[in-house]
Amino acid sequence: MKFNFKWLLLLIGLVVVFIVDFPILTVLLNSFRTTDSILSSRNILPDQPTLTNYFYINTRTHFWTFLLNSGIVASASTALGTGLAALAGFAMSRFRLRVLGIYNQALLIVQMFPLILAIIPLFIIFRRLDMVNNFIPVILVYTVIQLPFATWMLRSYFDSVPKELDEAARVDGCSRLRGFVQIVLPLSTPGIAAVAIFSFLFSYNEFFISSVFLRDENHMTMPVGIQSFMQQYSTDWGSLMASAALAMVPTLILFLFIQKYMISGATAGAVKG
Amino acid sequence: MLIRGLPVERLPYLLLLPSLTLICLIELYPFLTGVSSSFHKGTLLSAGNFVALDNYVRLFNSPDFYNSLSFSFLFALANVVFSYLIGLGLALFLNLDFPGRGVCRVLLLIPWIVPAVVSIVSWKWLIADRGGLVNIGLATFGLGPIYFLSQSGWAMVAVIVIKIWRSFPFMMLSLLAQLQVIDRTLYEAGKLDGAGHWQLFWHITLPHLKNISIVQAILMVIWSINDFETPFLLTQGGPSNATENLILLSYRYTFGRNDIGRGSAVAILTLILLMVLATLMLRQQRKVA
Repeated sequence: MKFNFKWLLLLIGLVVVFIVDFPILTVLLNSFRTTDSILSSRNILPDQPTLTNYFYINTRTHFWTFLLNSGIVASASTALGTGLAALAGFAMSRFRLRVLGIYNQALLIVQMFPLILAIIPLFIIFRRLDMVNNFIPVILVYTVIQLPFATWMLRSYFDSVPKELDEAARVDGCSRLRGFVQIVLPLSTPGIAAVAIFSFLFSYNEFFISSVFLRDENHMTMPVGIQSFMQQYSTDWGSLMASAALAMVPTLILFLFIQKYMISGATAGAVKG
Repeated sequence: MLIRGLPVERLPYLLLLPSLTLICLIELYPFLTGVSSSFHKGTLLSAGNFVALDNYVRLFNSPDFYNSLSFSFLFALANVVFSYLIGLGLALFLNLDFPGRGVCRVLLLIPWIVPAVVSIVSWKWLIADRGGLVNIGLATFGLGPIYFLSQSGWAMVAVIVIKIWRSFPFMMLSLLAQLQVIDRTLYEAGKLDGAGHWQLFWHITLPHLKNISIVQAILMVIWSINDFETPFLLTQGGPSNATENLILLSYRYTFGRNDIGRGSAVAILTLILLMVLATLMLRQQRKVA
């Protein structure tokens, strides 16, 4: 009896998963159908699966440029954001100073700041500097957006490394900074990796800021590129679905790596709030 | 060092310096410029003349502003309520013991982690006029077709439903995390005292979720009011501004009408609104805790 009940729960779970993920599933399935078939057939499964859409986006669009641009922007902002957050997170983990409390408040404000407010003046400034269609403004803005979350998470990882370890190193004549780099950092590698992947996912998925700063096809990131497909080929569902499906691949792979860290990630903002 | 008394530690300041510099450069400085431009009648090309509160006065007299304000509220309220209820339901479900629940948990997070643009492409197809799957489904019941993207009311429903779909996994995940740390012995003690399932839920589970629920609700309100991607990608604020929230309004004034004064004024008012809401909700949390 007990046994059957458990399998019933699994069945309910799978039905819920199917309903929730259905829209995403349709993207994958539709990407293997021609636009005609997408529009005319009432069948959800492709009757004659084809790679036409994928060949089309491979040869006729800037898809790979978008992917490369996204990779550049996301890697750079991840490296910068995680690095800066590690320094600040270490300070918050190992020192007790009023300025750190104030900094924590500042991070809360950064967390709720309406980006449009920063974007209007930044757009004007960077345009004056002739830096529209340049990755630098986008990388800098992404870095700042990631800071609160990354700092809070890294701080809690550093907190879990016993203080006695770096204090012992200090007694042996090691500077605090060297103790951090040679003892605390290596012991927090899994946490740092999780934070870095979170940051990368955020930057890879982000649309708003990129769409303001990256306006020509050679500089667009993936989300902006797909949005421009949506406008240009509003009737070409086939290539739209194929590009959306391909764009999801990096997200899903990275997600699988960090899904077990997701619980601590989802509460990191909450605990410190 | 120790002989000379307590050393002044410069290290923590140095560690904060790079982050602080960047925050000032990317948010504080633009914020101050934004405050200033909200008092000027400028364009993207020139700073313009000082007009004092004129931009704000014009906003308070324009139906566009009230339209956006009420849509922002509706959007945030509906999203918090429904993503919380769905998230709580699924968190309670995933907290049960059954085979494959780990896989279910991972798969239920997908709507939250895929890029917004991908979600919108998929939903746009589902709710497209006539040929869309939703309308085909409705037709089998003799209903519809519903033109989701061209009727104001339905466009609002569509944007809100998609936002809830994108938000509930986050609620689910944080509530589940909290559920998993509730002490099992509390339930056993409750059962010994003869409490039923409902009483256990009401007197043990819910009080333990209270704090995290309030914090997550605050975050969700902030994120909903700041959301640009969902309405912009789905409807661009249309039809006839029905789904234009404050952020989209600010965007349209700035980049569509080249009116930085009013664009900045809307953005500043949004920030004030967020600060007020967050403070009220945090105060509520302290009262509860």
